[in-house]
Amino acid sequence: MSFRHRVRTIYGKELIDLLRDRRTLIAMLIVPIGLYPLLMLGSLQAISVQTQTLGRRAIVVGGIGGPDGAQAQMLTFIRDEYERLRAAQDQTKPATQPAEPQQDPPSRGDAARDPARSGEAGQPVDGDTSKIDEGALPPLDLTWMPCEDRDRIEALIRERGIHVGILFEGPISADPALPTRVQLWYDQEEARSATGYARLTDMFAAVEERWNAQRRRQLGVPDTFFQPFAIAGKNLASPSSVLGQILPLILVLMTITGAIYPAIDITAGERERGTLETLLVCPVPVLDLIVGKFLVVTTIAILGATLNLASVCATVYFGGFNELITTTGTGVPYGQLALILLCLVPFAVLMSAIMMAVCSYARTFKEAQNYVTPIILAVLIPGGVAALPATELTGVMLVMPVGNMVLLTRELLVGAMVRTGDLVTVLLSTTLYATAAVAAAAKVFGKESVVFADVQSLRGTFDRRLIRPSGKPSLTMALVVTALLFPGWFFLQSYLQTSRPDGADLMVLRKTFAFMPVLFVVLPALVLTYWKVDVRRTFSLSPPAMSGVLGAVLIGATSWIFAVEIGMLQDAVFGMSDIAKDSAEALEKALVSLSEPEMLLLMAVIPALSEELLFRGFLLTALRGPAGRTVSILTSAVVFAVFHFILAKLPVTFLLGALLAWVCWQTRSIWPGIIVHFLHNGIITMSTLRPSWVAWLPMEMDGQPRHLPWSVLLPGAAVFVAGCLLVQRAARRGEPPGASAPG
Amino acid sequence: MVLADKLTKAFPTADGEKRAVDELSFRVGAGEIYGLLGPNGAGKTTTLRMLSGMITPTGGSATLAGFDVAAHPFEVKRILGFLTANTGLYQRLTPRELLTYFAELHGRERREATARADELIDWLDMHEFAHLRCGSLSTGQRQRVNIGRVLIADPPILIMDEPTLGLDVLSNRLILDFIRRAGQDGKTILLSTHYLDEAETLCHRIGFLHHGRLMAEGTLGELRQRTGEQRLSNIFLKLAAEGDGAAVLHRPTGAPVS
Repeated sequence: MSFRHRVRTIYGKELIDLLRDRRTLIAMLIVPIGLYPLLMLGSLQAISVQTQTLGRRAIVVGGIGGPDGAQAQMLTFIRDEYERLRAAQDQTKPATQPAEPQQDPPSRGDAARDPARSGEAGQPVDGDTSKIDEGALPPLDLTWMPCEDRDRIEALIRERGIHVGILFEGPISADPALPTRVQLWYDQEEARSATGYARLTDMFAAVEERWNAQRRRQLGVPDTFFQPFAIAGKNLASPSSVLGQILPLILVLMTITGAIYPAIDITAGERERGTLETLLVCPVPVLDLIVGKFLVVTTIAILGATLNLASVCATVYFGGFNELITTTGTGVPYGQLALILLCLVPFAVLMSAIMMAVCSYARTFKEAQNYVTPIILAVLIPGGVAALPATELTGVMLVMPVGNMVLLTRELLVGAMVRTGDLVTVLLSTTLYATAAVAAAAKVFGKESVVFADVQSLRGTFDRRLIRPSGKPSLTMALVVTALLFPGWFFLQSYLQTSRPDGADLMVLRKTFAFMPVLFVVLPALVLTYWKVDVRRTFSLSPPAMSGVLGAVLIGATSWIFAVEIGMLQDAVFGMSDIAKDSAEALEKALVSLSEPEMLLLMAVIPALSEELLFRGFLLTALRGPAGRTVSILTSAVVFAVFHFILAKLPVTFLLGALLAWVCWQTRSIWPGIIVHFLHNGIITMSTLRPSWVAWLPMEMDGQPRHLPWSVLLPGAAVFVAGCLLVQRAARRGEPPGASAPG
Repeated sequence: MVLADKLTKAFPTADGEKRAVDELSFRVGAGEIYGLLGPNGAGKTTTLRMLSGMITPTGGSATLAGFDVAAHPFEVKRILGFLTANTGLYQRLTPRELLTYFAELHGRERREATARADELIDWLDMHEFAHLRCGSLSTGQRQRVNIGRVLIADPPILIMDEPTLGLDVLSNRLILDFIRRAGQDGKTILLSTHYLDEAETLCHRIGFLHHGRLMAEGTLGELRQRTGEQRLSNIFLKLAAEGDGAAVLHRPTGAPVS
């Protein structure tokens, strides 16, 4: 029976088992189907109630000039016209609508669905003033706020100092054929501002209709002939509405919720029901069990996310709630739904693995629920931060677990442009966390002390006195530490760059490289020490064979040739992005003023030591054993490349990572890799920053980079191959690689 | 058939380690029913879990039909049926689905697995409830499903950890009949129990476990002769009292362990 067959069998059984459970169906089907319509109808109702309340309050209108200025006078004139209309209506009202209560001003939702009722579209009339208002005109209390200029008006609206800004572009025209242009500025996100805008447009519409009716009677022209005012509304709010901001958080939370119940049921639930032992005595590896179960949890979480997304879209589409998602009213970009769902997949994988790892520790369903609660709280914090209107998908938010997914979903949901680099960073970081979480889940699920909680409790994992010394770190430990370091490193770099004073690139650089050994070496070493893992063996600190050292020198002295050529090839095919170019130029500018020893220290010595110890020491050692040579080398190379963040550098850093991992794997020592890394970085740095040193190399023509001549490439390649052969020889002389942990 | 040689399981504690099973050696011959007796915490369950490949020994070795449990856990699990009184069933599956599932986990293709499930449904007379979900079955019916699960791969060795603990009289009877019948069919059975009368009537040989060590073993007659007691409960009490006083009273008379 193959791995696939076993996993399929477990997957099929678990899926049937879960789908037959009422609780799964409620969480997966009933909640999403019912939640969103209720949520949106509730929001609509709340907005309507709020509008009614706010409609009775004074509207603070900001405009250029004082209360006696032309702008204020024009507004007063219109308001007086409006009041006269109201007074006339009050006199005629008993005859026309004696029993009708006063109707409330149109709400935002009403306006959205029935433009004929909104002030912008004017009101249906047939030339009779008494019919202007099929409902009564509400009283209008306006307060003038003098402003110096347009910028001040905009600032006051954003600061909520005024509700609406008004700009008459020219005097109120006596010529009925020339409309007066009026701009109304407002913030749709601020309830009083939005209400104020609606009330003012209603006012203009009412006055316009009164004037039109008079003119029509005088001249006998068609209804639409005159247009005294041309109102232009300007919304200063961000494109996404309140609901547009919280919906992604709800979507993300519902994806998590979808994973919770199945994760508990197939881990703690299985133990509580006494069925776990029956599985463990079957001739099935624990890995197959966990993969089958994990795939089911992920499937349910993705199904839940899909249903949630479908429910949101159906509610918005059929309910006409576009304006509740985006203030521009453009609605959900339905074409992007597949992309949103695609982004939710690695997130569902991540949360399923976390839930399974956590729930595996629990002995009972109830205990698992207790463990899940802090996880949800931990998820809510970055999710909540991301849901704030001012938070953007930049900097550290790109790699913040959960937060990045909330932001990405929001951007996609409101149809904002998302840069490919940002999208890739979010997906790659989430995939990295998911991989670490899956490894942790597999480790926890198969752990004796966890499976038979009666034998040994959770303490066995974290209580140092109960930890047995080991020669090398587990894959789970390495992946979890790497996954935690990734956002930490990203955050540190972002923080240093944003907190720098202008022109202090050099200081940022120095601080970055000062923190690198702390994060890449000291922290993993502390983790290793706490869990009693042999630090020396993990970091592969044993001395290498002489041929390995010699090979490393030859490889390091020539690898830059290939880096240059690959970089040029890449630029020719894909072009060099402005960001990459700017970043390279800024780095070069900062470094060029340094002395040569400091240049080498920052660019060659520190990265060579720190990165080798983390990626080729800690990570590669953990990968030996569980994974074969190729998988280990490629995995460590991918992680090494991802840690460099810049997409344009990805191919070169990946290839360099693979080369360094191969050297370490073959020589079973960290030192040859450090030599290669140091020489590679050192030569590239010095040739870039001290071009006079390599003036003999024709690397540029007319200011443009050019390929290296064959007279350099061929001997360089020969030396490189000779270095590889020597490294290979070092492997043959030593212990067979992969036979046991390095030491 | 089942051979334990200085089998040890130690768990780390704050003070060092605790040996739940301490250099335990015994042998169960083919077709033999061997009873492992002892008070709570004696190490019976840990021993059986090690023998069934669920947990790894920290010392010594054990083989089932020649397969080392640490080196070849999957081969061991293929020839093994494991049953406890607490063994649960998947509540939302029917007995037929459950048996088919376990048959597939034991390496059978779907068609073969379904055929084997039907065969056991016939043999254990489960037709009446084979289509109902396990959650709606009575205790006796559940025990029959469990027996079906144990026999799904027709294993030559059965390991039973207190299989009648907490069962009512009828369910208890069902399990005991099953053990007796399996013994008659030539299966090798390792049985751990608290109920000394069960061991007395079922087991060919009995081993007494105390503080993770085997205090004595032999047939009922041998044990009576050694202790001068007739009832198994008295034999056990006497051995336990002596064991508490002076480590291990007696080296096992059973199999030579090499």
